[in-house]
Amino acid sequence: MTASAIPYRSIAGALRPTPGDIAVALLTVVLLVGLYLHFWSGVGGEGERARIVSADNGVQIVPLNEDRTLTLHGPLGDSVIEIHDGRIRFIESPCQGKQCIHAGWLHSAGSFAACLPNRISITVLGRNRHFDSINY
Amino acid sequence: MNPTEPSEASSPIIVMTTRDDHRIAWLAALAIVIHVAEAAIPSPMPGVKPGLANVITVAVFIEFGWRTAAWVSLLRVLVGSLVIGSFLTPGFALSLTGAAVSVAVLGLIRLWPGPSLSPLGVCMLSSLSHMAGQFSAAYLLFIPHPGMLTLLPVLMTLAAVFGLVSGVITSLLLASLHGRVANSE
Amino acid sequence: MRKAFILVLVLLSSACGRQETKLHDTQLLVMGTLVNVSIWDGDDDVAAVATAGVEQRLREMHRDLHAWQPGPLTRVNEALAAGKSAPVSEEAAMLIRRGSELSRQSGGLFNPAIGDLIALWGFHNDDGPHGPPPDAASVRALLAKAPAMSDLHIEDGSLRSENPAVQLDFGGFAKGYAVDEAVRILREHHLNNAIVNAGGDLRAVGRHGDRPWRIGIRDPRGPGVIASVEVEGDESVFTSGDYERYFEYEGKRYHHIIDPRSGFPAVGSSSVTTISKEAIVADASATALFVAGPDAWVRTAKAMGIDQAMLIDDKGKVYMTPAMAKRIHFEVDPPPPIEVVAP
Repeated sequence: MTASAIPYRSIAGALRPTPGDIAVALLTVVLLVGLYLHFWSGVGGEGERARIVSADNGVQIVPLNEDRTLTLHGPLGDSVIEIHDGRIRFIESPCQGKQCIHAGWLHSAGSFAACLPNRISITVLGRNRHFDSINY
Repeated sequence: MNPTEPSEASSPIIVMTTRDDHRIAWLAALAIVIHVAEAAIPSPMPGVKPGLANVITVAVFIEFGWRTAAWVSLLRVLVGSLVIGSFLTPGFALSLTGAAVSVAVLGLIRLWPGPSLSPLGVCMLSSLSHMAGQFSAAYLLFIPHPGMLTLLPVLMTLAAVFGLVSGVITSLLLASLHGRVANSE
Repeated sequence: MRKAFILVLVLLSSACGRQETKLHDTQLLVMGTLVNVSIWDGDDDVAAVATAGVEQRLREMHRDLHAWQPGPLTRVNEALAAGKSAPVSEEAAMLIRRGSELSRQSGGLFNPAIGDLIALWGFHNDDGPHGPPPDAASVRALLAKAPAMSDLHIEDGSLRSENPAVQLDFGGFAKGYAVDEAVRILREHHLNNAIVNAGGDLRAVGRHGDRPWRIGIRDPRGPGVIASVEVEGDESVFTSGDYERYFEYEGKRYHHIIDPRSGFPAVGSSSVTTISKEAIVADASATALFVAGPDAWVRTAKAMGIDQAMLIDDKGKVYMTPAMAKRIHFEVDPPPPIEVVAP
């Protein structure tokens, strides 16, 4: 299809949308609404949340796009978890090995750190979890 | 204006050029100028540009067909990046993917048997596909961070706005061109 | 060229496409640990009812089988210590029989009769022990009494022991039994694609939709996952590690897996992973192989009928059976030193 298929008679006429244009406009609106619903619905979107499970505080899902610090109580005392810049980590723990702190920042879906002595675990959630379950 | 003059003056090698080649070269040059000028405009976010070079690509597509538009688009990205100094940088890869996807969509529009589109619709699709291509390159190649995805709706909205603006400009440009051609006949 | 463009569009659209999630994932806080029940492709209501059933069953077991919180098992232990016989439930009798059998197969490396020893080390405590470790004399004194599962006899629902030093502690296989029970309950509800993970030890049945379940195995010495296995059908994957429960005293680390021969924490291993159908077997054998250590684990695995096992020693070297080597995939780069040992 070349120029001959599309007539241009006047400047005013040039801005009159064709039925095809209107279809494109409608599709665009649907696309944009769909994109907002998909990526902006829920807190933080997919892969942007972490599940924190603790024996004393139960299960909570936290968004990783809000920087904050959480203090969770466990059998040994308080563990402190930091969320910053889409990542999450243990920063303080009353356990002796401090393995949970050495695990460092977690950000990709399926990453996991736990303080077993204090019975607190963090799992980064996402649409494509790398592992269905962690054996430890 | 003699279109053969530049090539003869700048190069000792004589290349047989067709009318098509010259047309592509001139239109690409125009697109490159816009491309480079746009690169100078400060942008709130990388990858967000009004995309006025799109006007040239779409106008060429409507006036001279898909092949010419594809050449103009490719030349614009290649030469434009050489001029700005972004050749083979991530920014270049993004521009190239955006242009490639947008040209591919123009190809699909050409094959589309349904109701015809005015420059408004063509520019909208071209702009959206350019952004989609650019974004997927950025996400898949450079920053596969899920946080990127939350930007996508905003970027696509901006692409739709700029698509509409370039559509209006393209329509007016083509209409006035045709008006002038009609008057001169 | 056009194909490439279309590929880009397809990639983009698949990146945007929403994937239906059919996974019912529930965390339960029972048995002093985190139990995760993942059910694939079940009806919402059925999954909820089944999961509630699992939770209730695990709570009952926690109450009945607890080694130190006063309850049925502590009453049995009190009677045994007093040299009397004690009535036991059918379930407890079954567990004692299975525990005796597993203990016999393991050559005593898995020994649920050493409750006193575990208590002496301070592991009968929710907060974990704080040290100091018991003195060698009291450990030797307990060992000299040689409590063993073979000392126990059950007749007409009544348990008696030839040896008053026998104190039952099901810690080495109760979790396995609990996981088996949870899977049995899910199956009663016709949920045949699921994982039950109790504090890191799991049994997986069926598949995750069109692919097997993917299990990550924790690195005993670093953050994250050291290796992974794909599981389908019906298998249990259990790991015993020295990082699970331990205390440090004067710079020395004492973990919770006590070697019944020495009375001290087992040396040489840092973690053992075993795969077998029944979780109770995987649980007991992971403990037994850990105690056996890098030199003797293969013999113990063979005696317990385990053909898939992996032991990571205290220097980070990985030993495994050929059957385990065939299916395991290391997730760390570079992979650790590995030795495949045929049973």
